[in-house]
Amino acid sequence: MTNYVIRRLIQSVILLFFVSLLIYLIINLVPGGPFDLLRQSNPRITQSHIDRLNALLDLDKPILPGKYCPTIGGEQQPCRFDQGRYIRWLVKVFRGDWGTSWTVKTGMSVTELIGIRLGYTFLLMGVSLSMSLLIAIPLGIYSAVKQYSLTDYFVTTIAFFGQSMPTFWTGLMAIAIFSVALDWFPTGGVRTAGMEGDIIDVLGNIFTLGRVHPDLGGQELKLIYDGLHHVALPAMVLAFFNLAGWSRYTRSAMLEVMRQDYMRTARAKGCTNRAVIFKHGLRNTLIPLITLFGLAIPALFGGALITETIFSWPGMGRLLIDSIANVDWPIVQGILVISAGLVIFSNFLADVMYGLVDPRVQYG
Amino acid sequence: MSAIAVNALERQAVVKQEKPAGQWTLAWRRLRRHKLAMVGLFTLTIITLLSIAAPMIAPYPYEEINLYRSYATVMSPGDPGRPMHYLGTDRLGRDMFSRLLYAGRISLLVALSVTLFTVIAGAIIGAVAGSFGGWIESILMRSTDVMLTLPQLPLLLVLSSSLRQYPQLQMFLGSNFSVIIIIFVLVIFGWMGVARLVHGSVLSLRSQDFIQATRAMGASENHIIFKHLIPNSFAPIIVAATLGFGGVIIAESALSFLGFGVMPPVPTWGNMLNEARAAPLQDLFTQALFPGFFIFVTVLSINFIGDGLRDALDPRLKM
Repeated sequence: MTNYVIRRLIQSVILLFFVSLLIYLIINLVPGGPFDLLRQSNPRITQSHIDRLNALLDLDKPILPGKYCPTIGGEQQPCRFDQGRYIRWLVKVFRGDWGTSWTVKTGMSVTELIGIRLGYTFLLMGVSLSMSLLIAIPLGIYSAVKQYSLTDYFVTTIAFFGQSMPTFWTGLMAIAIFSVALDWFPTGGVRTAGMEGDIIDVLGNIFTLGRVHPDLGGQELKLIYDGLHHVALPAMVLAFFNLAGWSRYTRSAMLEVMRQDYMRTARAKGCTNRAVIFKHGLRNTLIPLITLFGLAIPALFGGALITETIFSWPGMGRLLIDSIANVDWPIVQGILVISAGLVIFSNFLADVMYGLVDPRVQYG
Repeated sequence: MSAIAVNALERQAVVKQEKPAGQWTLAWRRLRRHKLAMVGLFTLTIITLLSIAAPMIAPYPYEEINLYRSYATVMSPGDPGRPMHYLGTDRLGRDMFSRLLYAGRISLLVALSVTLFTVIAGAIIGAVAGSFGGWIESILMRSTDVMLTLPQLPLLLVLSSSLRQYPQLQMFLGSNFSVIIIIFVLVIFGWMGVARLVHGSVLSLRSQDFIQATRAMGASENHIIFKHLIPNSFAPIIVAATLGFGGVIIAESALSFLGFGVMPPVPTWGNMLNEARAAPLQDLFTQALFPGFFIFVTVLSINFIGDGLRDALDPRLKM
């Protein structure tokens, strides 16, 4: 077991290395830095200005290790070997220096910027994930136990519908119906205008014992309510899409388990129907769901990207889209590497968990 | 009667007997019994026909602007002597119904080409990896794993926004370059599923007797891959491609919705939803309803067909 975990960990690190290289290449192989936009807007900026700015940001160096021939003031300088931007970036990342933003929040460090936004994304993803799991798993189990009943058909049909409705449509329709027509929820954002602080400040204060954020003046409960009121609609939209897949998976996993011999044995021993389903069935159904959980994280992240855009939710997804639109590569690199790391880590965790909860799994 | 005559009669009887139904005929029969798949097929056919016939059906050209009739409601009259705006108009007063029909052309075309190319690329990569083995297999399948780990949607955004900044590419590909870029980008990030599927199925086929027999008879590796391994993996490929087709429609719409896909004035269902976001809140409902509804109905039909195909082609795959 320990051997397996160590081997899997090493594999994950190697995988993360390759993935980061690929991400860096895809972002940087395409010409056009942040200053191309500058040049379009201001004709008085010449190529030599651009060259100087590029040199300042290291953009004149090769991406991979290779020959580097600088030109200073239009004069060709002797060529020398350069270790390349990728290696330099990677070393800095390991030291905790992820660079500074070019255009979105010029000069602000990427780690700080992502740190501020990460909380909002985690809040949205967390609320939405718990919503969809709390509904999907009981629904899937019920529909498997009562296979071919009216409820089963209803659940399967809803799941089909849900999987065919993209979040960017359900999101807009949810705003049109629940925010505009019924006025139950705000149309977007994280807090009502004029409020000091928001739910993330409160949560931050709780988890860091009041050291990070300013005094919120005893408004904590109000802020939490306000935050939940704002997160409800985007989280529901995101949950609805995942709900469909999850209930379908739970249903088929449960059906698979119910076919097993030990279920019949349990019944033959005289267990009540309830005990068979919850003690023998449910626990075994949850095992394949762990793998799915690992696979669902990237989908959830992609979904959050779109949901955040629709609901002007200031999370990582929106930051990413702003950064791509404004050619802010340090932020884009940072977010992409973090999300790739998240995916790899959740796959690793799912594999290890699998062995912990299911003693039948043998690690070779 | 002589023995020869009897023999001939018997042979005639054999010939008269019905030819046993082939694999595909049987699959089609099973599919026809799947009601939802038939409903899906019917709906998809109608949407496709409407899109193809858009220039004939559409009451207005898709780019015709009429600023006096911005955000007209459903079934509102057009200018005197012009047809009615059945589904209203958008911000620039362009006819919603006409735009939806034309948008279908682009969305379906993109989805069709992407599915076709991903299946071809994935099948070749998977089959080569599965049948050659060794370091070729390691490299191909490890790259597939790496590609599957990449955060897809963000990289799609990066790639399509970067490629769009190439002026040379724009000149070379002409006015529809954003459509071609989106197809290219979706293929680059779309082939892995099929590759894995074909790889797995080739591995299990390779050890079977008929492949051994073919090899023993001296067939070349190419012959085995293209005449035996790939055709025998057709069933799961078709199911995956059908379900993938729906995924591509959603992916293309998502990119266009975020403003990184097909650019206006070329309409797609996704960028029409993007324009709906700019509508005043009281018009949001009608602006967003129709483009999204088309995406929903198309993808739902495809998912129904895919589900039916899965049952028809390989009952073991049933969920």
